[in-house]
Amino acid sequence: MKAIWLAIAIAAGGPPLHGLVAQDVAARLDGRVPPNVARAVQGIAQDAQARGLPIEPLIQKAIEGGAKGVPADRVIAAVQVLAARLDQARSALRDAGIQQPTPEALESGAYGLSAGLSAGQVRDLGRVSRPPYDPALTLRVAATLAALGVPPERGLQLMEHMIKSGRGPNDLLDLPSEVQVGMARGATAAEAAEGLDAARGGHEEQGKHDQHGEHGEEGGATRKP
Amino acid sequence: MMETFDLRVKQLLDGDLSLADLPPELRAEGEEALRLIAAVDRTPVKLTPAFDARVMAAVRQQAKSPARRVWRWLAAPREVELRLRVRPWAVWGGALAAAAALALLLSRPPAPAPSAFRNVAFVRFVLYAPGASRVAVAGTFNQWDQTAAPLVPAGTNGVWTTTLALPVGQHQYAFVVDGRRWIADPAAPAVDDGFGRRNSVVAVTARGGRIL
Amino acid sequence: MRSRDTVTDGEIVRAVLAGDVELYAVLVERYRERFARYAARMLGSRDAAEDALQDALVRAFDRLADCREPDKFAGWLFLILRNRCFAERRRHQREGRLPEDAAEAVAAPERSDGAMERREQARELELALGQLTPEQREAFVLKHVAGMPYEEMAQLTGATVASLKMRMHRAYDRLRELMKEYR
Repeated sequence: MKAIWLAIAIAAGGPPLHGLVAQDVAARLDGRVPPNVARAVQGIAQDAQARGLPIEPLIQKAIEGGAKGVPADRVIAAVQVLAARLDQARSALRDAGIQQPTPEALESGAYGLSAGLSAGQVRDLGRVSRPPYDPALTLRVAATLAALGVPPERGLQLMEHMIKSGRGPNDLLDLPSEVQVGMARGATAAEAAEGLDAARGGHEEQGKHDQHGEHGEEGGATRKP
Repeated sequence: MMETFDLRVKQLLDGDLSLADLPPELRAEGEEALRLIAAVDRTPVKLTPAFDARVMAAVRQQAKSPARRVWRWLAAPREVELRLRVRPWAVWGGALAAAAALALLLSRPPAPAPSAFRNVAFVRFVLYAPGASRVAVAGTFNQWDQTAAPLVPAGTNGVWTTTLALPVGQHQYAFVVDGRRWIADPAAPAVDDGFGRRNSVVAVTARGGRIL
Repeated sequence: MRSRDTVTDGEIVRAVLAGDVELYAVLVERYRERFARYAARMLGSRDAAEDALQDALVRAFDRLADCREPDKFAGWLFLILRNRCFAERRRHQREGRLPEDAAEAVAAPERSDGAMERREQARELELALGQLTPEQREAFVLKHVAGMPYEEMAQLTGATVASLKMRMHRAYDRLRELMKEYR
């Protein structure tokens, strides 16, 4: 009687993502993409796995293409491109001195490349992302800044300055929304980023008085140095 | 010409009148009506014995999906803090009149959240789309299934909304309007989806959610 | 230790969301009969009702985080099931068939000859119900099968009492007309 009330560790149920084997790919895609796409993606995934790359993003991309009704050849092409980007991200991070990038870092790196960062920029960001900064996080922020329209070099510079001046990793996560607030006030993405960069020195002196709060009123080009 | 029941007989069927309340000339009709209703089969439906087992097997399958791995419930959602950022933007499609997407709204968990509950946050999705007959949000958190997370109209002003519990991590998504138009959220960062369209990005962090 | 019966739906929903997936079976057990009856009357066959109910239960699990008021799980599940039943009917109509066309009584336990006539009438009424609009049929089922008062029906379906009564009265007339045709 009691058994049903015991917490069953469902969280541990299912195979760990990293342990997903390529045979599971076909099962995951079954019914979501045409069989030829499933076969092709399985092949790409097997190849990627053999090279030590995460395959979950590949599966997700295929599912996305299927759900959006994208033609088969385009889905396959997109998955191939993603696999190539994961590979590229890994090379870049290795060049940065990170011998074993985590799957999350690789995904963030691939995201960065698709958002317009160059391989060199991924490498540079990897170099400054030493503990407590996780490249998975910093790359994601940089990619999101680029996705907002901040020119990649600008965004990178902003982040490097933030890291060097000791802004915590969680604070880096605020950057994109701060840029957005600046943009809502009429600045371009680049201008908003510049404003944040210029203000960073003064801001850390004021200190953070609201750890969880909305930073809306402080962001953007109107922040006082 | 269809012969209809007298209104009072219908009220009898509704239970608002009794047979005794009916005038004598309507009694026969009343009884006929009651017999008709009484004919309805009220016997319980016998489900096949394995029904429960089949349902739970499907439920366990759903529970295994990666998105649900860190699925946790917070206490009742807090007051959602509205931060509207309206961007001027171009009309798209013919059917949708001037539409501006509102910013993504996040609600925060109670401040000292027990560690078990840090793994998910509520995210409210809002789209201004007057003239749409249905709107959904599809993304990496629901396998891009456009039937999984429909939005509902919030009043009659053309605003559609839903709130989802999303696990920690980065998610890409897009709105699906009328089942066929995939639209990125213009007020959120957008990335190339690899298929010639754009996806929007949201990141949920353990601290209770950040708009990225 | 409390028994299964004293635990509220809300407590179970919260526990399931926190990871106790197996507890969902308690909700399945609690509501399957009641909702099976509704689905069977709406769709006209036990098999269709089982499929619809299974889908609704799995979907309700899938979207459990969207259930804003866990203590009102039953009403929320009902809406999911209702949508499913309506969608099924629309599909059947598009395909040019109604489930009642399959000559299958919804619940047909063995009876003596004496009850044959009642069974026949039930069958006719079932057929007639199938000819109503989904809204009329639902109103009828909720009131005369589930015994629900109009106010509760209004809460559950979102329609006003006045419009429900209007649907119901049309249903009465339609049923009368149809039953006459069957004689």
